[in-house]
Amino acid sequence: MENSENKTEQTTEPTNAMAENTSNQTENEAKAAECEPMVQSPAPATTDDETKDSNLINLTVKTPKEKENVSLKPDATIKDLRDEVAKKFSKPSEQLCLIFAGKILKDSDTLAQHGIKDTFTVHLVIKSKPSQSVPQTATPNQSADQTTPISTTNTANSSSSSSQQSAPNPMNNLFNLPLGGSDFFSGLGSMGLGNSNFAELQSQMQQQVMSNPNLMRQMLDNPMVQSLMSNPDVIRELMMSNPQMQSLIERNPEIQHMLNNPSLLRETMEIARNPAALQELMRNHDRALSNLESVPGGFNALQRIYREIEEPMLNATMNQNPFAALQNNNLGTSTENRQAGQENTQPLPNPWGPRQDQSNTTTNQTTATSATSTTTSSSNTSSTTPSSNASNMNNIFSQLLGSGSSNGAGLPGSNTMQDYAQQILQNPRQMEQMLGTPYMQSILQMMSTNPELSRTIVENSPQLASNPELRDQMLRSLPNMVQQLQNPEMRSLLSNPDALQAIMQIQQGMQRLQSTAPSLNLLSGLGFPLSGSAPSSNTSSTQPNAQQTNNSQTSTTTSTNPPSNYFSQMLNMMANNTLNQPPEQRFAAQLEQLANMGFINREANIQALTATMGDVNAAIDRLLSQQSQL
Amino acid sequence: MSATPQSALLLQKQLKELNKNPVNGFSAGLIDDNDIYKWEVLIIGPPDTLYEGGFFKAHLYFPVDYPLRPPKMKFVSEIWHPNIDKNGDVCISILHEPGDDKYGYEKAEERWLPVHTVETILLSVISMLADPNYESPANVDAAKEWRENQAEFKKRVARCVRKSQESL
Repeated sequence: MENSENKTEQTTEPTNAMAENTSNQTENEAKAAECEPMVQSPAPATTDDETKDSNLINLTVKTPKEKENVSLKPDATIKDLRDEVAKKFSKPSEQLCLIFAGKILKDSDTLAQHGIKDTFTVHLVIKSKPSQSVPQTATPNQSADQTTPISTTNTANSSSSSSQQSAPNPMNNLFNLPLGGSDFFSGLGSMGLGNSNFAELQSQMQQQVMSNPNLMRQMLDNPMVQSLMSNPDVIRELMMSNPQMQSLIERNPEIQHMLNNPSLLRETMEIARNPAALQELMRNHDRALSNLESVPGGFNALQRIYREIEEPMLNATMNQNPFAALQNNNLGTSTENRQAGQENTQPLPNPWGPRQDQSNTTTNQTTATSATSTTTSSSNTSSTTPSSNASNMNNIFSQLLGSGSSNGAGLPGSNTMQDYAQQILQNPRQMEQMLGTPYMQSILQMMSTNPELSRTIVENSPQLASNPELRDQMLRSLPNMVQQLQNPEMRSLLSNPDALQAIMQIQQGMQRLQSTAPSLNLLSGLGFPLSGSAPSSNTSSTQPNAQQTNNSQTSTTTSTNPPSNYFSQMLNMMANNTLNQPPEQRFAAQLEQLANMGFINREANIQALTATMGDVNAAIDRLLSQQSQL
Repeated sequence: MSATPQSALLLQKQLKELNKNPVNGFSAGLIDDNDIYKWEVLIIGPPDTLYEGGFFKAHLYFPVDYPLRPPKMKFVSEIWHPNIDKNGDVCISILHEPGDDKYGYEKAEERWLPVHTVETILLSVISMLADPNYESPANVDAAKEWRENQAEFKKRVARCVRKSQESL
């Protein structure tokens, strides 16, 4: 409880300095206290002997910071002591907690009972106000930790649900499926990125992308996204880097199997890329559902599925409940399902239409969710799984790549670099958030852990091949750049509009200078690479580079600077490279592992590893199940 | 008085000193005033730790051949900590019997030394509260939880802190 006092009284001050002060102080006072009985008791005009022996006892009451002397009669009770101390420390007496000899002193006791004698010292702890003592003192860290993720989840949910209302688009609902949308965002929230700003941005982005299916498609058609997506490894990595996802997988092993099934993932990607297929799929699904609903009792059946299958799953996803909004939604609609009991004679509704019957979309969510949880193999349900997955992917990539598009300026790839930089200036948080996402981090991680990979990329780049000097510089600055991007300072720099503006100005100036005085080469010594020319290999040059490469992630094709193009190429290569290697080489480590475990059939091992994209655990599962089949 | 062993004298001296000039962070006394070998201490949860705000009661049992051998320390209050087992027994190296560790894990100088007093023991325990040693946990579950599920660990500690406050 000493702490509680610390908390209330010295919240702002640096504790170290204070601690020193107090320890000095207490030392001095301790010395003073030693000589006290002799020198300092003239108050009652009696002899010293009497004061010491019978009349009064002097006690020292100390908190971690302060120390006061209290004089009491020997037969005083603890209550008296407490009142006295309350006066000295000017605190209400119920907040005081007196401790002596390992015991907390109770009011009814006397000093004598506890053997408290003259010159003794009693510990004092000043509690904060009783009602608040628990949240304030006992669990300051915990309560903060607990409330923040939850509140961010809530904001994420509420904002996404509000976007549902404002733009009743079926795609939006899709995004709120168990693996998608808010789940992901709350995952990000728990990564410490969560703030209302972020959630807002997310929902805004979501809305943008969703209200424009074309945008999504184009995004997916973007060569870089495609190459990334065609590598299920990358996707799995991305998904696994989400802590929420991880815990979900831990609880629901089926999902892991889903992720370990490369064909399913690829299929998912395919469907996501083909808007017609996706649309058709959803339309069929919606239709089937609404027909089912109109069968007498059908709605109840759907509801039961929801209750019995989805809710347990809901609970499984811990207290960060991404479905809270959805649930409420459903409760509201379940009571007023206008269609129940009637045959459905309405024409095929257009799921992409601007207005959508609420109950319809809700049940769509409901069953799609349950489909995911059960992972049954009927063609209808299994096809919803990939689609939810796909939207999930879109989400990741829209977050990863399309933050520029959330400003509504159009498609990634249609922005020039300057445009993009301007957008960042308008919304500096975006950059920070983009770089802070686990996906981005994992990409960077991959790059930094595999310098060889990036090296090959650079060496193979046609643009750089013609300019060996530039290539060398590139190679040198590469690890630096990756590091820089991972550096939180760098991230905060990128999120600082002033800094960005300055960098842009410098770059523009350089370009102007270069065009007016192309022969002037001394500028490269300043550490800012002139685009296209042979720059210095100064480390500080990575800063503008990093800036550009970031842009290239969103606008892969536009930028004319080799540095930025090269980054996207790198990503491309990274995605393709591993696939081009023969599996023996690619999975060498895993093969050895399997061999050590006693799986001696190399052919089968390779096959299994290829099928599971190098996941040893999944490969073992596969091998064992094959063996048992034989 | 001549019959009083050295250990009792030593402990009496420490008790007197602690009553007069208590050390921040804990308060020490006897469970029973007639038994100098059984101490009762109240540890005030160290600031800026999860245990902040708690009052944890613990008992110290000294052997008659103290200070040649270490006392045992046992928390009476419920406490969740990797180095305190579920019965409340404290497991820190300075309370381990002197000499070399048969497992070669701890060095002799990290184990019990006759120079230790109630004060040094409790200061060690308080610093242990602030900074657990996860390598040799006495409460494996707590250590595991600390490593893998910090939120749950915090919750449990907070529960202990609250309980200790209620028991005042």
